[in-house]
Amino acid sequence: MQQVRSWKAQKVIERLSQKINRQILLSLEACVHCGLCTDQCHYVLANPDDVTYAPAYKADQIRKFFKAHLDWTGRAFPWWVGARSLYTDQELEDLKDTVFGKCTNCRRCSLACPMGVDMATFNRMARGLLSWVGVMPEGVAVVAKDQWEIGNQMGVLKEDYLETLKWMEEELQEEYHDPAIRIPVDQPDCNVVYAINPEPVTYHDSCNNARSCGMFEEPRELLRLVCLDFREMYPNRAENYCCTGGGGAMSMSEYAPRRLKSARVKAEQLRATGAKIVVTSCHNCVDGLFDLIRHYKLDMQVKLLVSLVANALVAPVRVPVPAARRPLEGRTILVIDDEPDVRLYLSKIFAEQGCEVMDAPDANQAMRAIKSRKPDLITLDLVLPRKTGEKLYWELRRDPLYRDLPVVVVSGYASIESPRIDFHGFLREKGLPDPEGFIEKPVDVEKLLETVRCALQDSRRAQG
Amino acid sequence: MHPISPQLAFVQDQLQIAALTFMAAVYALKIRWILKFPAGRDRQAPTGDADPARGARYSLAAIAMPWAMPGARRHPLFYLQFVVFHLAVAASIAMSFLIPYAPQAIAHPVAVRALQLLFAAALAAGLLRLLRRLRNPYLRAISTPDDYFSLALLLVWLALSILAAPNRPEQGEGPLLAYFLLTAFFLVYVPFSKISHYIYYPFARWYLGRTLGHRGVYPLKRSRPAQA
Repeated sequence: MQQVRSWKAQKVIERLSQKINRQILLSLEACVHCGLCTDQCHYVLANPDDVTYAPAYKADQIRKFFKAHLDWTGRAFPWWVGARSLYTDQELEDLKDTVFGKCTNCRRCSLACPMGVDMATFNRMARGLLSWVGVMPEGVAVVAKDQWEIGNQMGVLKEDYLETLKWMEEELQEEYHDPAIRIPVDQPDCNVVYAINPEPVTYHDSCNNARSCGMFEEPRELLRLVCLDFREMYPNRAENYCCTGGGGAMSMSEYAPRRLKSARVKAEQLRATGAKIVVTSCHNCVDGLFDLIRHYKLDMQVKLLVSLVANALVAPVRVPVPAARRPLEGRTILVIDDEPDVRLYLSKIFAEQGCEVMDAPDANQAMRAIKSRKPDLITLDLVLPRKTGEKLYWELRRDPLYRDLPVVVVSGYASIESPRIDFHGFLREKGLPDPEGFIEKPVDVEKLLETVRCALQDSRRAQG
Repeated sequence: MHPISPQLAFVQDQLQIAALTFMAAVYALKIRWILKFPAGRDRQAPTGDADPARGARYSLAAIAMPWAMPGARRHPLFYLQFVVFHLAVAASIAMSFLIPYAPQAIAHPVAVRALQLLFAAALAAGLLRLLRRLRNPYLRAISTPDDYFSLALLLVWLALSILAAPNRPEQGEGPLLAYFLLTAFFLVYVPFSKISHYIYYPFARWYLGRTLGHRGVYPLKRSRPAQA
């Protein structure tokens, strides 16, 4: 009798093949179950009697439904290779428990794998599949939204960050009675002078910055400048153990006891250094280490590298800081989109580049805004309530006043092949020129800014 | 040279060619299937003067650098078993070509003894692996029927390789017949089993190396002792 599949499980299975790329496919196919990854994982080391923490076991929870649907042998003889599809919501919950609650995507197991299985890549894919149907820890949903909309999991806007720096700058000026003190941001060739920290310091290589981004020696270089007694922990660099707070673990309170238990490995590693300060370059690690230091009662503080360096800074030379001109300064852009989130998102992107931003939720309001103050460029969503973006575009191109106004179409239906809106067909039919750019949603920020800059430059050349 | 029976002539020549052709066809389809999936792109900027191609080359070579793999460093005996086992498998594959087409290449008693020694060592390593898979709870939890069957099959094949290495049909064709029949079965079965991992190996390691090379992690900077 065929087993009935829940709606969520069905959606996960349907989306599986869309999410798999070549690297994920190979990582799912290549495992030979040799078990060399087992003792590389901090969860295993802290829970030696529970096989479900082994990286290969966790990977197999994803692998088995991949095999049931895509692998040749798995489809023909599922029992032979341990393939099994997903059917129930409970199975999705169990998978959630594995991919969110038993792995921090630290990639340590991948370095030990002779086959080159990249566990973090497909664990992330599995997280994506589950999130697609709403099966995810609530905390992750919140931070993921901040990360997506604002660009960091703390939900700190760039403006807020710069404002905080400005505020710190003023505090420093007051504290040292020196109005010339500056905190230069993105200024090349600034001189930095350090004072030395006398306490024993060790460095924790973050999984993100070190094992996944190769930043090994730079922080050590800085630490040797600002510390008298720098001690390596062991293992270190790419082989360091995870702080246990990565992969969103700090935002999943339901897994906190499990996380802290697995942190025993890290605690022993820290204790062995005899250091009084553990420094790291990752904010997640700070939280993870802080938690485990408190839990295991280590006589140790955790500090961000940047804090330690900032504390050590002295500024004997006053360097005038020239005000930097931002790339779109002096320009006005009108963002036309019916979705408030998108308007806010695009407006922030353009505002960060220094330009003035207007926005409009529909074509009528957009036309009024354009007539009241002609922008230098507009971004146009094609799907608008009442009057569509296509019609607005047509009106603008017919009007001698706005014929040359650069338009960048930002839409989920901007592509030529879009089945829902044949914008190019519309342009051909009306004999209209192509707009200055097409950007598909979700927006690639760099591509958007590059397109806008080019459109503005072309427009300037055409005028001048 | 001693004349061989039509059965042995068939299993060591035509049957092998047919099985090889089948395997090659399946592999070609498999590679085509792999390439149908889009290659993922690294979304982040490269780290410093990172070189993805260098990372990929390093990753491919890592298997021959036990010091570069934490797992191999931690379990040197296991790595040694791995080396012996895979060398023996490669030697036995080579032998399946040499016996029918260039028997004089391995006719010298020293060559025969060397091969038998290698196969015996690999057989011992394989038995240890099987024992490990049966006894280690972590491995038991992830092992599938295919894992056990593939390993058991290889053990039988290595044992037959020891018997077939002297290539003395005049003393009885049984070992040679069994060896070549099993070789043919392997060629047909392997593409559908975990033994086909070697077809994935270069691709998987290349992509991991490319990613980690792009990110400045490969070539790996090894963990340095705390006292350093």
